[in-house]
Amino acid sequence: MNPSNAPSAAEYGGDEVSAIVLDPGFSTTRAGFAGEDTPKSLIPTYYGKYSFEGQGKLIYGDDVFVTPRPGLSIHNPIGRDGVVEDWDMAEKVWEYSFTSKLTGAKPGNPLHNGLNDLPEGELPSEMEGVESEERPLADSPLLMSESSWNPAKAREKTIEIAMEKWGSPAFYLARNGVLAAFAAGKASALVVDIGASNISVTPVHDGMILKRGVQHSPLGGDYISSQIRALFKSNSPQPIIITPHYLISAKTAVEAGQPPQVKYKTFPPERAPDASYRTLVEERTLSEFKECVVQVWPGPTKLSSTGPNGTPNEEIARNSPGRPFEFPDGYNQVFGVDRYRVVESLFDAKAAIQDPESLFPAPTQAQTVPELIKAALNGVDVDIRPHLLSNVVVTGASSLLYGFTDRLNQELMQLYPGPRVRISAPGNTSERRFSSWIGGSILASLGTFHQMWISKKEFDEHGPNIVEKRCK
Amino acid sequence: MAAADVRDMLNLPAEGQPRPHKKQKVVEKRPEGITRELFALLGRRAPPIAIDQHRYKGRPKWLNKSRALPWRMTPFTNSARSDGLVLSHWTKDGKRKETDGAQAHDEQEAPETAEKEEYAFVKFNVKARVPSRYTTDEYNRHLKSDEWSREETDYLMDLVEEYDLRWVVIADRYDFQPQPVENTETPSTALVPSKRYRTMEQLKSRYYFVAASMLALEHPPSEMSEAEFDLHEKMIKFDAERERHRKELAALQLNRTADEVREESLLLEELKRITANEQEFITERRELYSRLDAPISVGNATNYHNSQGISHLLHTLLQADKSKKRRSLLGPEGIIPTPGGQTPITNAPGSARDSSRADTPNAGPSQPPTSKKAAAAAAAANKEATQQAIRTLTPAEEARYGVQHHDRLAPGVQFRSDRAQKLTQAKSHVQTQKLASALAELEIPLRLVMPTERVVRDFEKLIHSVNLLLDARKVSEKVESEIRVLESAREERERKAREVREKDKPEVKSEHQDEDDGQIPPVAANAAAFQANQAGRDQAETTTSSALANGPDGGGASGGGGGVSHKRSASVLSPTSDKSLKRQRK
Repeated sequence: MNPSNAPSAAEYGGDEVSAIVLDPGFSTTRAGFAGEDTPKSLIPTYYGKYSFEGQGKLIYGDDVFVTPRPGLSIHNPIGRDGVVEDWDMAEKVWEYSFTSKLTGAKPGNPLHNGLNDLPEGELPSEMEGVESEERPLADSPLLMSESSWNPAKAREKTIEIAMEKWGSPAFYLARNGVLAAFAAGKASALVVDIGASNISVTPVHDGMILKRGVQHSPLGGDYISSQIRALFKSNSPQPIIITPHYLISAKTAVEAGQPPQVKYKTFPPERAPDASYRTLVEERTLSEFKECVVQVWPGPTKLSSTGPNGTPNEEIARNSPGRPFEFPDGYNQVFGVDRYRVVESLFDAKAAIQDPESLFPAPTQAQTVPELIKAALNGVDVDIRPHLLSNVVVTGASSLLYGFTDRLNQELMQLYPGPRVRISAPGNTSERRFSSWIGGSILASLGTFHQMWISKKEFDEHGPNIVEKRCK
Repeated sequence: MAAADVRDMLNLPAEGQPRPHKKQKVVEKRPEGITRELFALLGRRAPPIAIDQHRYKGRPKWLNKSRALPWRMTPFTNSARSDGLVLSHWTKDGKRKETDGAQAHDEQEAPETAEKEEYAFVKFNVKARVPSRYTTDEYNRHLKSDEWSREETDYLMDLVEEYDLRWVVIADRYDFQPQPVENTETPSTALVPSKRYRTMEQLKSRYYFVAASMLALEHPPSEMSEAEFDLHEKMIKFDAERERHRKELAALQLNRTADEVREESLLLEELKRITANEQEFITERRELYSRLDAPISVGNATNYHNSQGISHLLHTLLQADKSKKRRSLLGPEGIIPTPGGQTPITNAPGSARDSSRADTPNAGPSQPPTSKKAAAAAAAANKEATQQAIRTLTPAEEARYGVQHHDRLAPGVQFRSDRAQKLTQAKSHVQTQKLASALAELEIPLRLVMPTERVVRDFEKLIHSVNLLLDARKVSEKVESEIRVLESAREERERKAREVREKDKPEVKSEHQDEDDGQIPPVAANAAAFQANQAGRDQAETTTSSALANGPDGGGASGGGGGVSHKRSASVLSPTSDKSLKRQRK
């Protein structure tokens, strides 16, 4: 097949209506046109807030990382459980995600864009007619994703924003578990999503989630970061302090394990950014650490137990060559067995590194991935359990941890020795990171899907409650 | 002048009937790159020829089109929707190839035409068939249940319709909250009634009951079509209890421990092995039976006529035996080699053999032998071992069984035919030829057709006598030549005496004699041969010599009568006499 020729619509049942797919997550927000294979717009969900000349200013997108403005504080409109907390800001961040790259910069609301500001004392003229025309999504249907445990109120709020604020002609709210299953080409699957703030296990049957089987726990990528921080605190030659790049003005190379030789940049207290900014930038170093160093113990037994020939697994891990990592301040060290320990608690709660200062309470065994899967399977009908086990879809950026799927496979084989366990995890990193967006892209470009949209008319007739009826 | 003009002049109606149009001559176009003459040779129905011309392909077809078809953003509605939502997608419209002037007009019409066309994906909008809804009256008469209220039944039916009979999803989403209206009516149960959890089996049995009842109400079972009747039967026979039990079992099956799984796989493996063994046993037995029933081979045996063929056969049989041996020993009714039939190894070996074979399932002495043959064999082994050791064969039996006694045996295998062959080879080539010709004379083939023991023995004797004969002849020749020499000497003497007597005879004669003299004396042997040539005189001498030769052998060599042998031996000598003749000519 010639890749430059699009397949005929009849072949894949596609019919593109230039819908926009918005997949908001805790860490990043993905947006793009339906029918494409990757989201065009990928922005952090975090936004920055600072005041300049007495005015409150906001920064969105990748710009938040760049400049340490005085008093810059970083916030996230979404709560740690994946449900939106700050709706006003969530709306703005989401709007930025598609207006910045997809729909183009529409002229802002003439009432507020400053062009029509009247001199003091004059009466404002009638501008109502103008406003209705200037909606950012006036000509694109919008498909949004949500977590499987999103409460009804949040769903209604979402459709209100899409319909009333953005003026979308049609809207649909899909569960991201279902979308991830679609991206893997499956209508029924057990979706294991390892996100930034949450791990979730969603059983999907015929394109619908089984609510009684949905499980989630907070042991996501941020939890792993906290474990890494705890590890750094108790590091053996000296505790490691992550110094972000913006605090370093000069550094020289040092030997492994030697204290860094660095000249710090200093900010006067009134010009320094908020501590949350530093945390955010440190997170970036930590995610680099996760990509380069952290490794999941491959199993089949736990890291703390002994291997098949009597040697403790820790001993084996210690003897395997370590991985070096250099921090922004030049400090570098080879990480041996520790690189396994930081993620072991995803499978074995007892292996968690204790840190009383951590944001995250010590995990319980029920929060670990295998237990979540077990609980999810126990929540669904016994007839479909074997089928779900043979269609385990692993997704989410944190599932890209080296060796994660192997370990998960081993754990599942031990949990369920009888039925066939088959994990389907795309090898392509972008497919793994954006799989729920890709599923949405597939769904919104299908010809058969267009009868599912909630149209503006329906919304006006039935009110926001329609989302509960339609988006099952 | 055209036909139309003529019609016009003659006031004929214009083209009343269309004329039968000319039969079109089918002229096949001559493909390029093939000459006219060659093409004519191909005849009417030319075979399909692909002529490959290496030439520049030119512009591809799609470039030749003067104008690209425009893609337009076209609004469309989906008739599967009730709200008439207008979405727009890109379409490529073939009919829009009009001039630009008409375009504006066209665009106005576009929504209408789009609406007229059915949206391509509407046909996929299918719903599961659910039974028609009951009326209150029907519900009260047929569907009342203690377990289910009317409201809950309604809720269930709604859910079934909504989720298209996907029971997994229905059971998952089933969340019936009793209407608060009831509570106001019956204030005694003012508290919210405890939420009842319904299992999938309960839902299914209720639904199937309702659906079957509705189906039966619609058509009584006697009037149902076959498909409907089947459906009705299935729904009526739904057994929630059994289904629940089945699911329990399925859950048990799913939650087996690793040990159980391993054990099961082991058992399965064992079962497979056992069945495979049984199968093998059956096929082996069948093979054995078929072998027993097989007719005697009437195949061509000429392959085995010569020794090479036989040795080959022996080899293959040995090979086959080797591969079969173990199996036939182990097989419950394989032929167990009887100890009696083998060379008796008198005392100890009996027990040794038994112990060595005790590990085979059936041959051990402790177990009852399965076949009579084995029983007899065991008995023979135990009792008659000593008897058999001293048993001797009568000469007749020996002859019958071909038993021979040798004083000394050469090591290795040798063939009798080879030995017979060797006999015909003498030391010298001449001698061999003589032997061969003698045998040819006797009409005995040089290579024996059937070299049995006796035949070879006789053949040996024959060759021996032929050799003797040849030796005797040699001796006789020698004697003869001596005789001749002596005779010629005597003649010489007589001649000289005569010369002495007839001294007065004419000179000429003596001159001639001289010449003769000069010729003969140098070669004494030649003279003898010259003499032998004169057959008449020779004949008598040879008969005597051959009689002499025959004398010592006695009757051994004489297969036939003495006269015949005489004659033969005479002719045997003839080639040598021919040779001597040749020598003489030289």
